[in-house]
Formats: sequence, C-alpha cells, structure tokens
Amino acid sequence: MMNTPQQVKNPSSSLKSRFITRFLGALTKINAEDPISSPSPTRIFQRYRRIKVASNKSMAYSVRSRRIWSRAMLSRFRSRRSAFSGRRSSVKTTNCTTINVTINENKTAKGGLDMQTDELRELVPGGEAMDVCNLLDETAHYIKCLTTQVQVMRKIVDFCHLSK
Amino acid sequence: MESNAGATETRSNVTVSDGGEVAAFESLQFTDEIHRLISAPATDNASSFTALLELPATQVVELLHSPESVKLIVASAPNVEDFKGSFHFPSNTGLIKKDARFSVFSGEGNNKNDKSNSPEMTSKNSSANLEKAVKSEPAETASSLPLVSDPTVENRNIKRKDREKKVKGSTKKSKPATNESLEDAEKLPYVHVRARRGQATDSHSLAERARREKINARMKLLQELVPGCNKISGTALVLDEIINHVQSLQRQVEFLSMSLAAVNPRIDFNLDSSFTSESGSTMDGGNFPSLVTPLMWPDVQVNGYRQQFQHQWHFDTLKQPIWGREEVCNNYVTPENSLLSYDSSANSAATLHANQLKMEL
Repeated sequence: MMNTPQQVKNPSSSLKSRFITRFLGALTKINAEDPISSPSPTRIFQRYRRIKVASNKSMAYSVRSRRIWSRAMLSRFRSRRSAFSGRRSSVKTTNCTTINVTINENKTAKGGLDMQTDELRELVPGGEAMDVCNLLDETAHYIKCLTTQVQVMRKIVDFCHLSK
Repeated sequence: MESNAGATETRSNVTVSDGGEVAAFESLQFTDEIHRLISAPATDNASSFTALLELPATQVVELLHSPESVKLIVASAPNVEDFKGSFHFPSNTGLIKKDARFSVFSGEGNNKNDKSNSPEMTSKNSSANLEKAVKSEPAETASSLPLVSDPTVENRNIKRKDREKKVKGSTKKSKPATNESLEDAEKLPYVHVRARRGQATDSHSLAERARREKINARMKLLQELVPGCNKISGTALVLDEIINHVQSLQRQVEFLSMSLAAVNPRIDFNLDSSFTSESGSTMDGGNFPSLVTPLMWPDVQVNGYRQQFQHQWHFDTLKQPIWGREEVCNNYVTPENSLLSYDSSANSAATLHANQLKMEL
C-alpha cells in the first residue's frame, strides 16, 4: 500500500470514465422512475437524495475495494439497504466506536492534533478504524475522487441547464 | 584486533572514493580478519564478534527479509567457507559504498551492552565491514524480490544508528552526499532510520521516528493536493485546510446533486456502449483545454440558479463559496448554443444532446 496516492489507471478504463458510465446509468434510472413533470419540493428533495446516493455509490463502485474508504462506503450502503428490509445493521457502528475509543486512548502522545484527526476521521468514510498514517493516505485518494465527482457532475449540470 | 580494526577503519574511509580494484584487496583482507577473529577466544561479552557469530546462518535470511525492524545481520562461525566464497566481489562497487556505512549490526551490539565505548566501536567497525559483504550477497539475491515499491517512503525512512563520531545525518531525502545513495536504500529490503547526534537510539524511539517521518511524508503529499496549502506551515493549520477542503467538496457534491434533481433533464441519458468506449479514449486526453470558454456566461446562469433556489431551498450560504471556488471552466463553446433546437420532437433533440454530451464529457 505504499504507493503514491495516484492510482495506476488503464487509459481505456480510468476512474473518471467508470464513474461517468455508472452515474449516468443511475441518472437515467432515476429519471425513468420519477414522473419528471412534477415540480413539488418534496419530489425534488427525494430526487436529490437519490441522486446524491447514486453519485457516491457510483464513485465507490468505481474504486471497488481498493481503498478502505470505498469499502467502508460500500458496506454502509449495503447495511443501509438491509436495514430498510428490517434486519439489524447496528453491529458495524458499534464495532467502529469501540475501535475509535482505543485509538483515541493510544493517541495522547500526538498532542494537539487529535482534534483535527478526529474531524478528519468523521469526514472520510471508514476513518474511525484507521491509524493516522492510513488516514492521511485515504484522505488523499478521497480528495482526488471527490474532485473527479464534482467535476463530472458540474459538467452534467451545466449541460442540462444549457439544454433547457 | 585493535590494530586490525584501525586498519579497516582507515581503509573504509578510503574505499569510498577508490575504484574497484580496492575491493579485491579487501576481499583478501576480510578472509584473514575472519580467521583471526574466529580464532580469538570467545568471550562472554556479547559485543565480541564471535559471540555474535553464533547466531545460526539460517536466521540471516529471515532477518534480512523481515520488514520494518532493526535487524542483526550475522553469519555463523562455521560458515567461514561461505564467507570466502561470498567475498569474490571484485567488481562490486556496491560493496565499497557499504563499507563506510555503519550498520544495524553494530548498533544492536551497542544496545546489548551499556553505552558503547570507542574501543568496542572500532572492533565493531571491522565486523561491520565483514557483515557488509554478507549483506550485499543476500541483497543481490533479494533484488529479484519485489522490493517495497515506494522509493520516496523508503528514502525517507533510512534507519541507521550513528556513532558519536559520525556526522549527524538528516532524516530527509537530502542526505549527505558522501555515502548515502538512493540506490542503496532501494536495494535493501528493510527500513533504515538515521539517528541524529545525541538522540536516543533505542528501538522504540526509532520506530516512533519512522512513524513520524511517514506521517510527514503523507502530509506533504496532501499539501500538494489541496490548493493553497503549500504556503501554510504547521501541521495543525494544514490539517484544518485539508478538512475544509474535504468539507467543501462534499458540499459541492450535495449542491450539484440538488441542482441535478431540480433541473429536470429532457434528454435521454441512455447511452450505448460506444459512448463508454469513446469517453474512455477522449476523456483523458487534452480535450478539455480546447473546450474551455471564458467564465462570462456562467454568471448569467448562476443568477438563474440562485433565483430558482432561493425560493425553495435557501441555499444562499452555499452559493457564494461554491461558485467562487469554481476551478473547472465550463466546456461550452457559445456558438454551439444556437445549434441546439428546442423543437417538440424529442427524438431529434435527444440525439443531438446526447452527441453534445458525448463531446463534452
């Protein structure tokens, strides 16, 4: 895992192209399910939530299991889905919190940076169970993927606004 | 043994700059040394070479290949014949370079005793030269192994315990030009960390230092990733900036998904496989610079967004920072706007829009 944060990409199937195909597929599905003509705020809010989940999911699936944060995100989606179907999904969260406590106890030597690292752990999915070294690694990759996500989504939005 | 050690020490200082012919001379000297050392009575003092030689040879390879710890490189006494065989490195310039370095081996010897005295140091010097030869042989065989692939991390984590006489080395990548070379670090499969002058050299603080160096390396990479972080000094502020950046990116995703939800696209996103292959090929190229337009027209659109959203979602606070931070230019050439036809026939509009989306993405 000691690679540079840049992912080695096959030019024909880069992270960006994988994300685009997945996300656009999800968008078509969402558009097909919803009656497009309804402008009510609740409908739009539901669509917003779906699109956000679709976007994060597409990115996580494009990264697959290569990164801790993508694995955590995927397991979060799966547990959420199973929670909807009535099964218990609280096991994962309790495990994470116990690990979090032990890590915090051991990290008193680091001094004043505990607050920032805790904040970072909250932001990066799956960050609770990582040590600082891995956390920084994952943050770098996560930032890169988020930037790609934002870039692609912005282009799609602009395109849609343009075609209106 | 002292004079011998002295001779080896001076020789080691010389060999750094000398050529390959010195190695042949040294190889003969080593065999003589070994015989002398081994014939000396084995004492109970753990610092003696013979006591250290008593480690079985099988452990050597394991010690070499176990990562991330301070290791002893010792060969056992009965394998002197192996040593002789291994010393035929007349053209091994790597051996010459390693001669002048003081190894982990010597450091471990220090740890076993009380703090080392200089006579013990010099005796270890000779043994250090010896085990350099051993080290280089497994290193050459290990070169076929996949080494740790990140040279930057390895170079930063060069662990070496210095004597008091040695010049203090920096822990960064810019090492003193005399002995340390990056290729040495890459050849050896374990981690070296240089202890500065006067610093503790026990394994805990060394491990701590290696960990800190790793973290600092990652912080540097993150600083390059996050715009505007290069000027900031101090880990806490850099981390704050990184946190802000991640938060802003996440909020941008939310904002964009909201606008996607609100925009109600009329085009059909059903794209066949040709799009995916094409997007893969055109994506990573230099297409984007050619499609960049000045940011003039988005300002008009932004006002449109704002009006729409102010009524419904109260996104005032979000809009200013997000649009202010926009770094990616929109990829629409304005003459193309006129090409779009907004007629009622959805099919033609759909195909036209799909083609345009293909181009831009």
